[in-house]
Amino acid sequence: MKKKRSVGDVIFDIIIYIVMILTLMICLLPFIYMLAVSLSDSNSIINNKVIFIPKGFNFEAYKKIFTYPDFFKAYGNTVFYTFFGTLISLTLTTLFAYPLSKVHLRGQSIIMKFVIFTMFFSGGLIPNYLLVSSIGLTGTRLAMLIPFAINQFNLIVLINFFKTIPEEIEDAALIDGLGYFGILYRIVLPLSKAGLATIGLYTAVFFWNDWFNGLIYLKTNQFPVMLILRNIVNGTAMLGDAAGSADKATIALSIKSAVIITSTLPIIILYPFLQKYFVKGMTVGSVKG
Amino acid sequence: MALKKDKPETVMPRKPITKYFRKYWQLYAMMVLPILYFIIFKYIPMFGNILAFRRYRPGLGPFGTEWVGFHYFSRFMRDPAFWRAFRNTLILSFENLLINFPIPIIFAILLNEVRNLKFKKLVQTVSYMPRFISTVVVIAILKEILSPSSGLLNNFLTSVFNIEPIYFMNEPKYFRLLYIITDTWQFTGWTAIIYLAAITGINPDLYEAAKIDGATRLQQIWYVTIPSILPTIMVMLILNIGRMLSLGFEKVLLMFTPSNSSVSDIIDTLVYRTGLANQNYSYATAIGLFSGIIGLILVSTSNKVSKKLTGDGIY
Repeated sequence: MKKKRSVGDVIFDIIIYIVMILTLMICLLPFIYMLAVSLSDSNSIINNKVIFIPKGFNFEAYKKIFTYPDFFKAYGNTVFYTFFGTLISLTLTTLFAYPLSKVHLRGQSIIMKFVIFTMFFSGGLIPNYLLVSSIGLTGTRLAMLIPFAINQFNLIVLINFFKTIPEEIEDAALIDGLGYFGILYRIVLPLSKAGLATIGLYTAVFFWNDWFNGLIYLKTNQFPVMLILRNIVNGTAMLGDAAGSADKATIALSIKSAVIITSTLPIIILYPFLQKYFVKGMTVGSVKG
Repeated sequence: MALKKDKPETVMPRKPITKYFRKYWQLYAMMVLPILYFIIFKYIPMFGNILAFRRYRPGLGPFGTEWVGFHYFSRFMRDPAFWRAFRNTLILSFENLLINFPIPIIFAILLNEVRNLKFKKLVQTVSYMPRFISTVVVIAILKEILSPSSGLLNNFLTSVFNIEPIYFMNEPKYFRLLYIITDTWQFTGWTAIIYLAAITGINPDLYEAAKIDGATRLQQIWYVTIPSILPTIMVMLILNIGRMLSLGFEKVLLMFTPSNSSVSDIIDTLVYRTGLANQNYSYATAIGLFSGIIGLILVSTSNKVSKKLTGDGIY
């Protein structure tokens, strides 16, 4: 069955494998570089000896950043926003997606239009900002959570997911006297773990990575870790003794790298285990409802 | 990315409204909070755009105090800063589209040719990952790599070519390039998913027939793969053109420095600076509304074109 491969075929394969290996390297090397810098001593960094392998291996930068109260606090803030943001978002999105997955429900198509219109035209930065401040959310942690409670794309992914659940299962439960709240909680949700995991992950990543809303709405002690990182990189914030120290540029460098690695670590560690859910959303969302 | 509402398969017999509601009230009850959320956080800000036609006074509500008509519009139309931002937005979007539109297609086609399934899966998994990294982190890494004093790239240029360190992040001529390649890094793998899905849907008989006719793999790509995914490519292209005005605002803001502002000031950053930094709320709202309306026109036109040409759209 196996035919002899032509020279052209072999060359083709070689080119493809080179491209793919390059892709792998381009995706991963920035992190490996950051990791190496964060684990190296400042002398080696100054002398440009560090590329992808740490020189003068040590954990000083990590030890330091966790003694800085600002960083520690910000990390806690981010965990808080991610946890509660995801919780609120999953609850409201589920409550909306379930009725909207019932195409025969009166008013469903009007409400869908009402939702979809907001994907194409929105208030824009200033009206949103003025709304959040006029209802008194500015300077409270709720400003990071409530305004982003429902993402329309995630909503549509979940609606499409709920549509795949056969209605016969619900009909039986209705006859048994279970209301729709009961059906949603006891029957639909247990069947939808994959769908919920998918949008839950998108939402969690959104809250974990958010910094801009922190910048415009929050007080310094409420800042998420990404905003602290942005301020360090900008030079508008210095952590602890990095300011004023003799070789502050390089200390700052290994510390910066340590902050980058630490703040991205949850995503990098969890990603390989959860990536199938990430991809699912992309494909479910694109399948026509 | 096609999201379509389906038609109800069966028309429910019309029941008296009270009976209907008694049966389904729980479903409507579920929607109360989400609908309130949409009204408060989506529709009120949308109506908040009338601030573009009204004068804002601090402490007197988000909708302004008195009508001024098109005062703010005519003001920004005469403002060279606006036209600079408008031009920068279009140029950056266009160059970004030119480069980052074809790359995921090529990547998907090549990835599809990888025969070792485990390796294919590995490349796929790794290539999606940057999509989930915070823009702050992406730019922070970029700044470290490009740092004039300690960055990898400048070290390399200095030691190998003996070039003076270049301040990449500050020089206007590198801004667009850096914006575009960070986009390539972040989104190539992710965008390729759509094309990979389209390639998976190609009938294998087509490849068999091509092989029997003696087509090489390059010819198979050219005569089978590309024509088969052309509809998907068209839809994506049209949708991307529709989204021309929405650039990665957060990334531009992170890369913005006073010295590269001649190319990095886009509409969104202009709105941010005049609105939130200088608190010219009405003026900034007018600019935001203008670009929002152009965006809406672009998206709906491109969607219509897409539907007409391919029968596929986003709504």
